[in-house]
Amino acid sequence: MTHTIVAKALAEARNKLREDEALALLKAYGIPTPDFALARDEEEAVKLAEQIGYPVAVKIVSPQIVHKTDVGGVILGVSNEREVREACVQIKEIIKKVPYAELEGVLIQKMVPKGVELIIGTVYDEIFGHVILFGLGGIYTEVYKDVSMRIVPITEEDAWEMIREVKAYRILTGYRGMPPRDVAAVVDILVKFSRLVQENPEIREADLNPVIALEEGKGAYVVDARFILKMP
Amino acid sequence: MISKLFDPQSVALVGASTKQGSVGYVILENLVTRFKGVVYPVNPKYDEVELWGRRIKFYKSILEIDAPIDAVVIATPAPTVPKILEEAGLKGVPVAIVVSSGFAEAGNVELENWTKAVAKQYGIRVLGPNCIGVYNAYTNFDTIFLPADRAGRPPPGPLALISQSGAVAAAIMDWAARRKIGLGLMVNYGNKIDITEVELLEAFAADDRIKVITLYIEGFKYPGEASRFLESVRKIVPKKPVVVYKAGRGRAAQRAVKSHTAAMAGTYEMYHGLFQQAGVIEASSVREMFDMAKALAYQPIPRGKRVLVVTDSGGMGIQAVDALEALGLEVPEVPESIANELKRELLPFAAVSNPIDVTGSATDEHYKIVLDTLLPTAFFDMALVVTLMQVPGLTKNLAEYIINSKKYGKPLVVVNFGGSELVQKFEDILEDNGIPVYPTPERAAKALWALYKYAEVKRKI
Repeated sequence: MTHTIVAKALAEARNKLREDEALALLKAYGIPTPDFALARDEEEAVKLAEQIGYPVAVKIVSPQIVHKTDVGGVILGVSNEREVREACVQIKEIIKKVPYAELEGVLIQKMVPKGVELIIGTVYDEIFGHVILFGLGGIYTEVYKDVSMRIVPITEEDAWEMIREVKAYRILTGYRGMPPRDVAAVVDILVKFSRLVQENPEIREADLNPVIALEEGKGAYVVDARFILKMP
Repeated sequence: MISKLFDPQSVALVGASTKQGSVGYVILENLVTRFKGVVYPVNPKYDEVELWGRRIKFYKSILEIDAPIDAVVIATPAPTVPKILEEAGLKGVPVAIVVSSGFAEAGNVELENWTKAVAKQYGIRVLGPNCIGVYNAYTNFDTIFLPADRAGRPPPGPLALISQSGAVAAAIMDWAARRKIGLGLMVNYGNKIDITEVELLEAFAADDRIKVITLYIEGFKYPGEASRFLESVRKIVPKKPVVVYKAGRGRAAQRAVKSHTAAMAGTYEMYHGLFQQAGVIEASSVREMFDMAKALAYQPIPRGKRVLVVTDSGGMGIQAVDALEALGLEVPEVPESIANELKRELLPFAAVSNPIDVTGSATDEHYKIVLDTLLPTAFFDMALVVTLMQVPGLTKNLAEYIINSKKYGKPLVVVNFGGSELVQKFEDILEDNGIPVYPTPERAAKALWALYKYAEVKRKI
């Protein structure tokens, strides 16, 4: 049942999926992610950005760099050829500063419109097995620990409940002139993610962060994903 | 077969003692003086002893007993337990309650593993070790080594308690006994080398004497237990409610902050999620667990969340509304046509919307009018009745009117407190007739919430 992307990483003795692999794995399970492609050099980056369509995000892809944003490895709102080239230069500069890091390439990803940021994740616990977590991003998760959890597999009903259970739920239903968000699309991601985790038990932990919930009817997208695998 | 654990006809007590105050003595006294089945005391030190005005024959070993035995209670030093289990196995006893302590909890993991292996080899099911075992109020099968004058024994009734902690279980029993809460069965499973809370839940689910199962848990022990709990409890809750209190809500040992999710994986959130998923009703304290259980055992399941509040104290009415709304229940207004009707029948200064304040000048009849007018309508799903009996116009008849309102098939809870004999008697009449009484509006509101929550659980599963 293990997906080939996970199997390949394990065969290569890697305990972490690359950015493009992580997104491809989500896609394989029908979880929406903005269009993306991995570019090996600057020329390819330009070509892929044209294909995907501006604006795009340009992200560093290096197995040694865990927190891309922290090192400045994520450049958002890149909207023409010149900016793609500048982003590529910037990323090469970053790599020079981290001597142990190798650059695999850059990820070109279609920009998603602004929305409410969510976190969906999983962690493996000895007693509970795989547990799925849901929370609103930023302070709601980090400061208020306002999250809900369920054990895998979850039903659609469970997914609705876990979304409604967080105190910050009101932010998704429309608040102070902000439009209601596409909660049904988030439910869909949760249920599909549960299946992904269930069918790939080698996943030790994962974060889909952020997941952007757009306005009602416009869907939700996973912008970034990290998967840590259990080595056999 | 596990039912023999709490409903044995015949019991051997290994480690029975004549030494007053010892564990083996207290259990022997429980069994000899109150248990409705047959007791075989085992201790090679004694032949025949006169105790509690009877002659009691002791056996040298289980193997010497010349009759079938349903359960063996072991209260001997830990190192002797494997051998005794072996004898029980040879004798064909199906279940053993190992009261003895000094196993893994004291660092003797090997002894515990050995005990487990012997039990497995002989196919004997084990409760414990390191537990107080079982209390059955229906048959007075009672393995609790705490003397009855220190730890009260509750009367038979529709509640069952499964407890991971023995001391907590004994304290709950004592408390329940004083409040005459019908706690028919209690099992404490201690170190859980074999019989788990899940099996006990299943056994109580199949037991017609039990209407509500309460569970006091600190944490699971074995890999995969959460899934088994989920699978099993999902099948139980459509039949009867399970109320749980999970103690120890703080975060478990620090985990390395690897990812957002892993950092967030404090164990309590996992338990909370599991309980929601399984359809368990979660309490935030032992007291709340029993407040809820009492309502769930006796009251019907509401169709919705709209609560009628009737009170003779404006202040209590407001508190009730606050508490109900904070829990997500609704306190809708009384439709105008009915409010006008009430206005004609109640005192001129009574409040006739919701909460309905019949005021401190109310009589029993005023409550009756409100209940009979509003409860049969489709506007309310349940009622919270505040009866501060200290006002002069109220009498015992009020209890009758409230009990009579059960005919509308909607949940009713009462808020009442005070120390006078009249107040106490009033409460007793209500509770004897299945109307739960609480001393504060918050506690009554939480009980109604539990009923509503259970209705939701049943709808879902």
